[in-house]
Amino acid sequence: MTLAIRQVTKSFGQHRVLDALELEMQPGELVCLLGRSGAGKTTLLKILAGLLKPEAGSIWFDEEQVDYAESHARHDIGLVMHQPFLYEHLTGIENLRFYARLYQVADDAAALEAALAQVGMQRYGGKPVRAYSRGMKQRLTIARALLHDPRILLLDEPYTGLDLQGSLVFNQLMLEQKKQGHIVIMTTHDLSHALPISSRFAFLARGRVAEDLPNRELSLDTLENWLTLKLAKPNSEQQKVAA
Amino acid sequence: MRDWLHSVRTLVWKDLLQEWRSKDMLTAMFAFAILTLFIFNYAIELSPVNRAEIASGIIWVVMVFAGTLGLNRSFTAEQDQGCFDALVMAVPDVSAIYFGKMLTNWLVMLFVSILILPIYSLLYNQSLINLGFILILVLGAWCYSAAGTLIAGMTVQTRMRDLLLPILLFPILMPVNMAVVKAAGGILAGAPLVEVQAWLVLLAAYGIIVTTVSIMVFEYVIRE
Amino acid sequence: MALLLVLAAFAMVLFYAPIEVNMGLVQKVFYFHVSAAWVGMLAFLVAAVCGILYLNKKELKYDFIAFSAVEIGLLFTAIANFTGMIWAKPIWNTWWTWDPRLTTMTIMAFTYIGYLLLRRGVDNLEKRARFGAVYAIIGFASVPLTFFSSRLLRTIHPTIFGADTGDMAMTPAMYQTMAASIVAFTVLFAVLLWHRSILTARETEIDTLRAKTETLEFGEVQDD
Repeated sequence: MTLAIRQVTKSFGQHRVLDALELEMQPGELVCLLGRSGAGKTTLLKILAGLLKPEAGSIWFDEEQVDYAESHARHDIGLVMHQPFLYEHLTGIENLRFYARLYQVADDAAALEAALAQVGMQRYGGKPVRAYSRGMKQRLTIARALLHDPRILLLDEPYTGLDLQGSLVFNQLMLEQKKQGHIVIMTTHDLSHALPISSRFAFLARGRVAEDLPNRELSLDTLENWLTLKLAKPNSEQQKVAA
Repeated sequence: MRDWLHSVRTLVWKDLLQEWRSKDMLTAMFAFAILTLFIFNYAIELSPVNRAEIASGIIWVVMVFAGTLGLNRSFTAEQDQGCFDALVMAVPDVSAIYFGKMLTNWLVMLFVSILILPIYSLLYNQSLINLGFILILVLGAWCYSAAGTLIAGMTVQTRMRDLLLPILLFPILMPVNMAVVKAAGGILAGAPLVEVQAWLVLLAAYGIIVTTVSIMVFEYVIRE
Repeated sequence: MALLLVLAAFAMVLFYAPIEVNMGLVQKVFYFHVSAAWVGMLAFLVAAVCGILYLNKKELKYDFIAFSAVEIGLLFTAIANFTGMIWAKPIWNTWWTWDPRLTTMTIMAFTYIGYLLLRRGVDNLEKRARFGAVYAIIGFASVPLTFFSSRLLRTIHPTIFGADTGDMAMTPAMYQTMAASIVAFTVLFAVLLWHRSILTARETEIDTLRAKTETLEFGEVQDD
């Protein structure tokens, strides 16, 4: 599946967050979105998920314009955001069962146990989510996002709360997703973990993809230096304040 | 359509399971209702003459106030954990979320009222176990839930949250208040169902209109 | 501005035209009472229509108009209720009855207040407009239901005496005065609405700019 973002524009009041943004992705790619706070990374993810409507521009899956009113389009998308989307009083397995039923995928015990095992949570499925640590909730919500086998994954700071083990499990999962030809877009500050799995790094500034850096044997130092330089460039707002 | 019903069923299952585990709504509503009944029992002397009408009034007032406690809690899980986004992506249409919540609230309210009726009968020495009476409560609870779910969906996202719900809900609910109290009072006083049918028609009309408008409009409560 | 004065004068001039009826001078209040009530209802209709328009087009100006309509409508509804009470006390010897029109007007006033409070409780401009629109629509939908249920209430309890204004005999001159009065009030409403809407738009602009300068002062960048 290919993904194309064409001329997407979004403003909040007077503030234009995304300005005719363009981005194309091939199957099996993982794009890491980088940029200052407020650059529009989360906004872009929400638009891709169909939660926000852009004022202009369109999203294309496989050369067909996406109609987010159609549920089959939305069922091709998996989303992980800052909030866990979990129900505290239900157990891990019950949360998964709920989402499995909503998406009308297999909700039998075996399938759900397998989903838990994917993120290393097979021993905790029977406990209520209330009792989970932040890292455990993060793992469960990742399992939740993958449950309906979406071809497009949108992840906002997925490493939040994950310990080293959890980050490695996550990376492994992402490599498998890439092998299956799925597309992953993620935002993160955790460059050391993102580096081994990212195909490209897209830097967002002034509402557009200011630079698109392919991951050709990049070292962590090179990546970090590149990012530091990009972040150091002043944008128009900060210039006004300085003046 | 089948997908829509399926998602509604799944949502109701999830809500009822959540509620059963936490028992937040149930205990609050039940405790509040019983205490209020006690207060009424103390404050209002009932002679055999005015029993019928006052009974329906008391029961409904208790349900209205206890209901706000339930409504306030019904959206907190989604609001605090941000689940709205995940639900919007999964369901065929946002109206399924409204309808699922509405059914849950209706069922919880009915459950509480079923528990309350025998207690009232005990305190006031007056049997309320009457098919017509229960039918009216069922209809009234539906109307209450239809309007309340829509309004609660909004107030849970405001600054004032719980405080705002009664202020917004009660004016809209007035027709239901009048209809339930008068119809139920009539039934208890011995009138046959036919006599109060005007009120029943009004309740049915209210239920249909408010549910329909809410289904159309709920999308704007959840999404931008 | 000149328009306003001319119409106010027009209304006053007509004051002299009608002949006094057997009810005495108090009856003259009737013209303003009905006109004010009419404007109250019109304002609610405007708010509901603007609500629908906003949800369709997402242009903030509809929210400003709706807000102004509700503010002004509340004022006129209060005037209607007070003039009604002034008229009622000498005639019926009571301040309040469950008269359908009075009940509906009062419930409408509470809905207005709810609307204003709801808007107060939401800081985000877009969400505020959305919620206002939703509440205006559901509020308006409930008005006819409230009216019918209070009418039903009265037919069952005809113990309230002579609340129908049909008791009054109206001469042609009085009809003319009534019509003129209603027209005058409507134009007054339109002018007030126009000015208040523009004022609201400016106020909102100022608030937004002020918020912007505050964040720039501290060097904070807006969140995603």
